[in-house]
Amino acid sequence: MADKDLELARLENDRQQRRDKIKTLILHVLLILACVVTVYPLLRILSVSLRPGDKLMSTSLALIPEGASLKAYADVLTTTHFLRWLWNSLLITVVTSFIGVSLASTAGYAFSRFRFPGNKLGLTLLLGTQMIPAGMLLLPLFLMIMRLGLINTYIGMIIAYSVSSLPFSIWILKGYYDTIPRSLEEAALVDGTTQFGAFYRIVLPLSTPALAIAFLFNFTSSWNEYLVARVVLSDSARYTWTLGLFELQGQFLTQWGMFAAGSLLVTIPVLAVFLYSSKWLISGLTLGSVKG
Amino acid sequence: MASVTFDYVKKKYGEVEVLHAISLDVKDNEFLVLVGPSGCGKSTLLRMLAGLEEISDGKVYIETRLVNALPPRDREIAMVFQDYALYPHMTVEENMSFGLRLRNTPKEEIDKRVAEAAQILQITSYLKRTPKQLSGGQRQRVAIGRAIVRKPKVFLFDEPLSNLDAKLREEMRVELAKLHQKLNATIVYVTHDQVEAMTLATRIAVMQGGYIQQIGTPSEVYSRPANLFVAGFIGSPTMNFVNGYLEQEADKLYFKNDTMKVLIPFAIPLANDKIDYKSVVLGVRPEDIFIERVLDKKLSDVINVDVEVVELLGHRKNVYLTAGEYRLLATVPASFNKNPGDKMFVWLNLDNLHLFDKKSGVRIN
Repeated sequence: MADKDLELARLENDRQQRRDKIKTLILHVLLILACVVTVYPLLRILSVSLRPGDKLMSTSLALIPEGASLKAYADVLTTTHFLRWLWNSLLITVVTSFIGVSLASTAGYAFSRFRFPGNKLGLTLLLGTQMIPAGMLLLPLFLMIMRLGLINTYIGMIIAYSVSSLPFSIWILKGYYDTIPRSLEEAALVDGTTQFGAFYRIVLPLSTPALAIAFLFNFTSSWNEYLVARVVLSDSARYTWTLGLFELQGQFLTQWGMFAAGSLLVTIPVLAVFLYSSKWLISGLTLGSVKG
Repeated sequence: MASVTFDYVKKKYGEVEVLHAISLDVKDNEFLVLVGPSGCGKSTLLRMLAGLEEISDGKVYIETRLVNALPPRDREIAMVFQDYALYPHMTVEENMSFGLRLRNTPKEEIDKRVAEAAQILQITSYLKRTPKQLSGGQRQRVAIGRAIVRKPKVFLFDEPLSNLDAKLREEMRVELAKLHQKLNATIVYVTHDQVEAMTLATRIAVMQGGYIQQIGTPSEVYSRPANLFVAGFIGSPTMNFVNGYLEQEADKLYFKNDTMKVLIPFAIPLANDKIDYKSVVLGVRPEDIFIERVLDKKLSDVINVDVEVVELLGHRKNVYLTAGEYRLLATVPASFNKNPGDKMFVWLNLDNLHLFDKKSGVRIN
């Protein structure tokens, strides 16, 4: 009897192992497919950027094309205002991100910690703004910036970008603050800080993962933005790289090599910011502060 | 160190009043324990003293200074929280010195005080660790250390031991008692554990429903509970309560019901029209129920009981008895050898009887 049971258990175990193997296999196939779908366009861009000028329209699928050269990179850096556009984008994006995170960190704290009339309504409205398609906001945003006399200025761009990414950042930070025990701030208040001191010395240092996420979100959304920039900026010296690259697309001739090279170059800052901030994206920083 | 005075202090949340005109004096160097069940308002009262809750009405003084409008940082208090509330991004040393650094205390002084406190609490070897590298008991010590280094006028403890396991809680209780002796500090301590209250307090304030039910030394509160609530809350195992009425026979007063007739050995002001003598509650502590006659004690007449359950606690036994419709719990020596279902006799210790008015719950004797 016992032997039979043992045999049955062994059979069941084998079956389970086989099922697990099949599951893992299917999962891996799906993951590999997803990777290919994601990476393939990037590889095509890389390939196009390396093609010599006479082979731009080649239908070859080779990753490193025949006669590969870095000429497109040199051209985009020297024959266009690419570095200027990059600088403009960087300036606007970095300032926007800092302003956005600063405002969101304090606003999120107020929403998380204080009871005031309109707290819930305010949060709901903030979420509501995220439901409106960006295109619909273009005209009002343009009118506001025009009335403020900020058309074609960095400040106009910074204001437009800061306010549009603020609601999401506030939600992210508010949600994170909610997980930080209030007793930590109360302990700080008793220890001798003001309410702002408790926020600055205790809550902010503990919120680095959420601050990093908000910063990244601000950074990437401002960095890649095209529509608002198209509306606000008209002087090519103030162009961000998104507008600048579009310039390369001519009516009769599009310089695909330079276009591809520029597209790859602009990913470097985002990648750098992402890699740098990933070390702050460590959650669980509050472990051990209160009973666990 | 300093005294603390609550003068008709009220707390309201909107229309709901949760603390009703509390008046309480905490004397200099006193260890006052606020004890009561969850939701009785004890933590709220403590947080009002700390400045973490607004005072709806009344006045709070530390020494002679009115502190109602002062922020927590100006009240010269230190608080130990139930969940420790250690700053996770700081080391033990930084946690302890945080308050001193905010007050720009010279570094040598900070180092000296932290070292002293760490030595008292035996946490010197953990000073460079962060809270998450410590066990629950160690974290609690750090939280206490953070309070000690500040040398505050009043220490506030909000259920500091409730997150520790039973053994550690017992150890820390002894540590806290020693600490009070060593620091000679004024301490206001909140707990729902009546054992903590009894063992640590100089005086206990028993709270329920936003009122202070009784204030007194642990022995006063135990031996002369002011009402049914205090009688039932203080003491473990809890007091036995039996319903009945009072009746005069010849020149003697008796407590009676269907199954019991107990002589009341003390005089009671029978002319009190606030008390209904036809409906009273007799309270007897489990240790005042005897299973044999003791000659040097004044005992009641014999009461017939049935043994229902016997629990061995090691050195003592808890025996659950039934006398008619009433259930009694007696603590008896471990040598007690009756079994469930057995019949036996018990006697009540007449010197320690407690009589309460059933309707108001107020103590009669």
